[in-house]
Amino acid sequence: MASATATYGQKEASDQNFDYMFKILIIGNSSVGKTSFLFRYADDSFTPAFVSTVGIDFKVKTIYRNDKRIKLQIWDTAGQERYRTITTAYYRGAMGFILMYDITNEESFNAVQDWSTQIKTYSWDNAQVLLVGNKCDMEDERVVNGERGRQLSEHLGFEFFEASAKDNINVKQTFERLVDIICEKMSESLDAGDPAITGAKQGPQLTEQPAPPHQDCAC
Amino acid sequence: MDLSLLQALEKEIILEVLRRDKQLRIIEEDRIRRMKCELQELRRRGAKSLARQYGERTCARCQRPLGKFWNSGAVCRGCSHRICSKCRVGVGAANWKCTVCHAYRDVKIRSGDWFLEEKGKKFPAITDKYETVGETLLKTYNVLSHISVVPPTPPPQLDYQFLSRSGDLKHAQPFTKSVENLMVSFTSHIKKISTSQNDVRDLLRVNNSPRGIKYSNQKSLSDTDINKCGILCKVPSLPNLFKKNKDSDQEGSSTGAEEETSFSSEYSGGRRSSNSSVSTECGLFESVSVAGELELAIAYNANSSCLEITVGACRGLTHGDTKKRKCHPYVKLYVLPEKSSKMKTTVKKNATDPVYNEIFKYQIDRNLLFGKRLQATVWHAGTLKRKVFLGHVLVPLDGWRYEDKSSQCFTWYPLCPKIESPDGGTVE
Repeated sequence: MASATATYGQKEASDQNFDYMFKILIIGNSSVGKTSFLFRYADDSFTPAFVSTVGIDFKVKTIYRNDKRIKLQIWDTAGQERYRTITTAYYRGAMGFILMYDITNEESFNAVQDWSTQIKTYSWDNAQVLLVGNKCDMEDERVVNGERGRQLSEHLGFEFFEASAKDNINVKQTFERLVDIICEKMSESLDAGDPAITGAKQGPQLTEQPAPPHQDCAC
Repeated sequence: MDLSLLQALEKEIILEVLRRDKQLRIIEEDRIRRMKCELQELRRRGAKSLARQYGERTCARCQRPLGKFWNSGAVCRGCSHRICSKCRVGVGAANWKCTVCHAYRDVKIRSGDWFLEEKGKKFPAITDKYETVGETLLKTYNVLSHISVVPPTPPPQLDYQFLSRSGDLKHAQPFTKSVENLMVSFTSHIKKISTSQNDVRDLLRVNNSPRGIKYSNQKSLSDTDINKCGILCKVPSLPNLFKKNKDSDQEGSSTGAEEETSFSSEYSGGRRSSNSSVSTECGLFESVSVAGELELAIAYNANSSCLEITVGACRGLTHGDTKKRKCHPYVKLYVLPEKSSKMKTTVKKNATDPVYNEIFKYQIDRNLLFGKRLQATVWHAGTLKRKVFLGHVLVPLDGWRYEDKSSQCFTWYPLCPKIESPDGGTVE
């Protein structure tokens, strides 16, 4: 799979004409549809055949959001346990996570808690997480109802989507919401550290008058 | 970490992904580094020097004197410096920042530093681990790969001493480190990007007006849509700020600004090897499709303060005379942006793999290498002084570790299909 995607998006990958670059990781049990989800989003393609991801893979997509060009490096991870050492190594540095389960697979839903622990262990604290219940087109085979997903997401403090890579439901929305959350986090963390915004403090400091309360533009 | 539990094929696949990631990171680091250099430059111009004492009533950014009543300036909330009204960014009486504070924040956002700061909090002991996981794996298993070693591109580090000396970019450090890691580990595979040249060429053909070409040269690899976006919704980005500031600043002459822009465009063009051979009928020279590589060794002799450039050989050149299938190549060197520095090798007759082994010395103070690039162009010497462009290579000279012996060895550089005239403008 990796070799097939190697040539994909070369121009996009080497493009420097963007404002930010976000790294996003998709995690979850094996066969919940992480790769399909990514292919749907990045290539708008879908193949029903199941090909297990080897270790890790990524795709690059540049989007235009909030008046900014944002380059997304989206990592697709293998759900299988045997690749765990290599996938967890990539948790660090990821600004956003898409934690995915399969609504037709109880086990994948039960594993969400563990995945969330993994994120807490390996990622940085300001990483943002979205919970996604994939395969919502397969209503007949559903075993995890939407309400349980929502409750779990609230419990974990993540936002929640049900989506379908096959029918292209909520795929784009998921990524865009995640990007928005990261952007929000960004302005939040910047404004918190605002007083120390520049190191150019030399010599005596001038203060003219008590500073009026100031709000900063978001991003 | 090791991959010994995995099968050979799996390893291959994973390593391929890691290589792609590495390419992406190198490009990204290049972008960030340039962004930080611009910021540094902006900051440097506002620096108070001995000549201009702090207490003086001048704008901390553009150094213009401030009046007592009229245009008396105001204090920036970010840096507490007194700033004239022209060096402010943002709207409203309260919501403005000086150009440097604004640019600093902008860089922090755009480089992702805002996020990386968290790393230090959570993993203070194991900094850089993320950056090196892929690297380590690649290094360890590089032997396994069947990919031929592509000549290294000059290291993407520019002025670290410069950055860290100033000390006020407190977050420059992780980047420095990670780039150094990259440096130390192999620098191959970078030029694999050049495979995408064809795509880019097609893209570039779309814009056929001279202006369009120039623009796409600068923004090289972006796709056309985004380019258009860029034109339509130009946000006050660093370079703009920069230019604006420069305009308002009388010490920056217009030629200086020109130089700057051409530097960045040219530099990125060289690095990404993305520029097309749009330049065909121009009277000055002819151009054929570009192929092949050029072998160079660059060293700095501190005793004689000479830059020693050895032109080793070329291989796989295209025939300059396509009809007769002949090629009489020679290599021309410039230390840009100087135009006086022309150096030429001899012409080798009938060779697509010519061997030169000619050493050129260029007297220059080491400190002056900052911002200089070595441009090597390969030409076919045709009949009647007709010359045909066969490709060029652009090597930034300020990033070289001249102490490091390995960087002084011969390296093969892929030739790029682009020509800059020695005075900095693109020949089109």
